[in-house]
Amino acid sequence: MTGKATSPRRIGWSTLAGLAGLVVLAATLGLGSAWLVLKRSDGLGARVGPWQANLLAGSADADLYTRARVAVGGLLALNRAETMYYVAATDSDGQPLRSRCSYRVSGLPPKARWWSLTAYAEDYFLFPNEQRRYSVNGLNAAINEKGAFALISGPSDPGVAGLPWLPTPGDRGLMFTLRVYNPDGALQASPASLEAPRIERLAGCA
Amino acid sequence: MTQAQSSALASSRRRLWAWRIGATLALASAVHLLAVWAVPRVIMGRVLSAAQPEKTTGVFLPPMTDASARRIVMPSPDLLYATCAFDVSTTPLRIRADPKSPRYWSIALYADNSDNFFVINDREAVGQPIDIVLIGPKAYAQRPKMPAGSKLIDSPSARGLLLMRVLVADYAAEKSVVEAARGSLSCEALR
Repeated sequence: MTGKATSPRRIGWSTLAGLAGLVVLAATLGLGSAWLVLKRSDGLGARVGPWQANLLAGSADADLYTRARVAVGGLLALNRAETMYYVAATDSDGQPLRSRCSYRVSGLPPKARWWSLTAYAEDYFLFPNEQRRYSVNGLNAAINEKGAFALISGPSDPGVAGLPWLPTPGDRGLMFTLRVYNPDGALQASPASLEAPRIERLAGCA
Repeated sequence: MTQAQSSALASSRRRLWAWRIGATLALASAVHLLAVWAVPRVIMGRVLSAAQPEKTTGVFLPPMTDASARRIVMPSPDLLYATCAFDVSTTPLRIRADPKSPRYWSIALYADNSDNFFVINDREAVGQPIDIVLIGPKAYAQRPKMPAGSKLIDSPSARGLLLMRVLVADYAAEKSVVEAARGSLSCEALR
C-alpha cells in the first residue's frame, strides 16, 4: 500500500519540477530575446554615414517592435512630419563612440527650421558636467565662411578657438542625436539625402 | 528488456523531448511578444503616474532640462517642457494655450501606447490661441457641450500625455518669455 501511495506522488513532483524548469527557461528565452531586440538601434529607418534615422518614432504607423524600441530609446518623440531624429553610436570609420575619446563633429546644418546635436551616455541620458553644456544647435553653433558648423566632444576642453566643446566625462558609451525640427520637404521625403555630419576621432584617446 | 521494448522506450523519449522543446519555444515566443507589446505601455504608465500637475491648471512644469532629468530618455536640453497627464474616460479635457514665444513651440498628444496622435506648432497656430477639446474612445453618459471655437480631437486611448515644447536659446535671458509661453497652457476637465 505504501509503495502504491508514494509512487505517483514522486512522479508528480518530478513532473512539476520539469514544468517549472520549462517555464523558467521559456521566460528567460522570451525576455532575453525581447531585451536584445529592443536594445538594437539599427533597422528603424534610413542610414546615412554613421547616422541612423528613426522615421517611425511617435507615429501611429509604428509596428509592435518599433513602438517598443522607441519607448526604450526615445519615448515621446514627435512624428516624422514635425521632427526627424538621427542617432550615431559610431564614428565615421565605424568605431563605437566612447566618452573618454575626443571627436570632431562637422558638417553643413540640416535644411530645416532649426536643429540640435546632443551628446548622450549609453543610458540615453545627458552627461553631468560643470559647464552644464549638453548640445550645440542652430541658434548657438559656430558657422564658418563655408556655411559649415563644427564642434568637439570629449572629456576635457581642447581649447580650440571658435569651436564649441561638448563635455563627455568618464569612460562610457556615447551617442549623438541630431534633431531636425520642421525639416524641409526634400529631406522629409528622402531622409537619406541628409548631408551627414562627419564624426572624426581625434588623436590621443585617453 | 527486449529489442522491441527498448525501441519503444527510445521512441517515447524522443517524443517527450520534442514536446518539451516545442512547448518551451512556443512559451518563449509568447513571453517575447507579450514583453515587446507591454514595454511602451509600462513605460508610459510610469511616466503618467509620475506627473504632478498643478492644481488649478492641471499642468506640470518641470525645470529646464539638465543632466538631473532622468524620467524620460533622451531629454532635449534645448527645450522647456510642460506636461498634462490626462484621463478622458469620464469627461472630455479642454486644452488651452496662448504661447507668445517668437521661436518654435509645439503641443503634442500621446496615447497610452506612446503613439503621437496629434501635434500643432507655432507656424500652424499662426498666432492664434490653442483651444482643443479632447474626447475619449468611448461615448460619454452625457454629450459634452462644445465651447464655441474649440477644435475637437479624438484620443485613441482614455489615458495619455500632453507634452508642450518651447525652444530656448538662453534660458536666463529669455526666462520671462518662455516661462509665460508654457505658463499659458491649461488642461481642465470639461463638464
